[in-house]
Amino acid sequence: MLTRRWMMAAAAALVMTAGALQTQAQEKKLTLLTWNLPIYEETFRGWIADFKEMHPDFEVEWLDKKGTEWAAFYQTQRIAGTAPDIVDIQGMLWAEYAADGGLLDMTPYFDANPEIRERYNEEGLKLWTYEGGIYMLPYYFSKTLLVYNKKLFDEVGLDGPPKDFDQILDYAQKIAESGEGRSGFITLNFDWLYWSLFAMNDIELLNEDMTEAAFNTPEMVEVVTKLAEATKSGAINNISWTGRWVEPNNAFATGDIGMYQGHGAALFWIMGQADWANGDTLGVVEWPGGYGVPNAHGLGISSSTQYPDEAFDFVQIAMNEKWQTKMADTFTILTLHEAVDEALIAKTEDPLKKATLETSLANMDKAVATWVTPLDAKIKEAFWPDIQAALLGQKDPAEAVADAESKVNRVLRRAR
Amino acid sequence: MPVETASRVARTTTGRGGLLARKRHRELLLIWLLLTPALLIFLAYRILPLLWNGVLSFQFWSPTKPAEWAGLFHYEEMFVYDDVFWTSLYNTFLYMLTAPISIGIAVVLALMVNSRIRGRGVYRTIIFLSYPLMVVAVGIIWRWLYDERVGLINYLLRQAGLIDEPIAFLESYGTALPSVIAAAIWQITGFFMIILLTGLQNIPPSLYEAASIDGASRWSQFWRITLPLLRPSIFICFVIAIIASFTSFDLIYVMTGGGPGHATELLITYIYKAAFTLSQFDYAGALTIVMFVLFVGIALLGNLLAGGDAGKVDIAE
Repeated sequence: MLTRRWMMAAAAALVMTAGALQTQAQEKKLTLLTWNLPIYEETFRGWIADFKEMHPDFEVEWLDKKGTEWAAFYQTQRIAGTAPDIVDIQGMLWAEYAADGGLLDMTPYFDANPEIRERYNEEGLKLWTYEGGIYMLPYYFSKTLLVYNKKLFDEVGLDGPPKDFDQILDYAQKIAESGEGRSGFITLNFDWLYWSLFAMNDIELLNEDMTEAAFNTPEMVEVVTKLAEATKSGAINNISWTGRWVEPNNAFATGDIGMYQGHGAALFWIMGQADWANGDTLGVVEWPGGYGVPNAHGLGISSSTQYPDEAFDFVQIAMNEKWQTKMADTFTILTLHEAVDEALIAKTEDPLKKATLETSLANMDKAVATWVTPLDAKIKEAFWPDIQAALLGQKDPAEAVADAESKVNRVLRRAR
Repeated sequence: MPVETASRVARTTTGRGGLLARKRHRELLLIWLLLTPALLIFLAYRILPLLWNGVLSFQFWSPTKPAEWAGLFHYEEMFVYDDVFWTSLYNTFLYMLTAPISIGIAVVLALMVNSRIRGRGVYRTIIFLSYPLMVVAVGIIWRWLYDERVGLINYLLRQAGLIDEPIAFLESYGTALPSVIAAAIWQITGFFMIILLTGLQNIPPSLYEAASIDGASRWSQFWRITLPLLRPSIFICFVIAIIASFTSFDLIYVMTGGGPGHATELLITYIYKAAFTLSQFDYAGALTIVMFVLFVGIALLGNLLAGGDAGKVDIAE
């Protein structure tokens, strides 16, 4: 009787142990968080399948969040201590997470695998380098360009794109005056995408060591004044300063606006909305002076991951030539993976798209608004509202610039 | 009364009293048992986060770094240096205008659909329809209605010859907040109308008959009978509207994102931005505490105006 009881107890213990071991085995899991790409699910499943061939004992959960929800989701997960292991991050948001220790420095992996570093555009990699460490692998990339409506340019007798800031405003004015409902220029404004307008006038946002605002200069006041006047006169469409993504793109898609400052991905979206938008009707060139504001996504690893090596394996698989070629082909987008980008440009037949891709990779050293600082979002929030008010004629430009300077400096001082 | 009899009566009374006490004890136990799940949820999702916000507001805190004592730093920052806090507070108070305006419109609509007009059921349904819509959907609908180029409102105003140039309703500093308030009023008025309609239907018709016999005009009947007897319903609407104006995050977020500049920033949207866009959870905690204090103040004021016993529950013996 006793023996039977002992045997039953032993069997139960065995079952429980096996169950616990199984649970532990199942707990080997990575989570992938992507940024507003639900339509790309098939490829994400492909990444996961390839990863599981290498690590059959791992499970990978895929989550996708819209841009507006991404930060809130990631932040709450970080606070809860359950940050997704692998994350797709837009713009310079990563620097904040890197600075507070939330992201894994991938430099040791790059050092151990020099062939990975060699895949990438060197200037491009700098976009994800903070205090000497590389925190992200480039995923996709575009840069702001100047797109102009050839039909409207012809109508008002302009024979090519503008060459400097004053010419931009001058051309914009002419186009605006050429017909009812027309305006000369529109720009996207999120994530510093408008900054080329200031960079081309030699305006610096911060001093060299990023400890103080450097933009409160007579030149800045003059530029803001000119932009505000052009907005008031209708030469610049006021959606430039108020719209987010859809609104300015929709406005340009109507065909009533002469010039557009936006990145390649947005231009392709416009081409999808407007039948008239093609290489015959639109021209695309670098911004005067070669300046451009990158809009890039990278794949990083949360430092809270329990499996950093496997997470890096995953990132490496996801960003390999096979999958990045698929990305590039699907969305006609650059990846900063040099072989993939060259192949993409070579096989792109649409002249407007081809020109956009080529132009985006030119002058990478003149990419502006790439301040790698964990304070990026706070500086943006301190800088923009006053400048926006001045651009919309709600505030005196000199006063707005001074107020913005004081707010940016306060952000910088607080951080010190 | 003989001693023996008196003691028997006393025993019986004590026995009955004990029985009643035990019954009452059991009832109380049942009440607490039924309340416990709700109270636990309330504690977990309301009280603890609020307390945690209170703690955060006195710390320098970020998700991956140890907390440091900050004292009143965040409060000083808020009250002395932060223009956006004052703008969002001002806007929140302006946004409260939704309450009197929507209640006023709802009273008129409720009176109309309460009268004997043909198809009043259809009107009631149409007016109420806006309320069950998702706030995000309402925001998107109104964003398109206000659109400068393709919006229906600009189209109608131009067709009517009232304007030459389209109005940038949501992009202009002067019109953005009133435009969002109009959308909020549109959504909530139908709900208020239903509450007020119920209130109207609970007023005994005999009061109006008596007033008519006494020669009271319709206007006088409205002021002296309808409005005073609608007061409890109006108070409920008022409380709901005030709560909604403090927590109206979705509509602002979808329609303007708080812009242009901070022209439509409310305290609630600013708290969200401080926490999730700027990663200043500690500062967002301080803002939340200030909002909570304001909220409590307004609730107490509302209670005072309602006679001091709003929400009182009478438990029958």
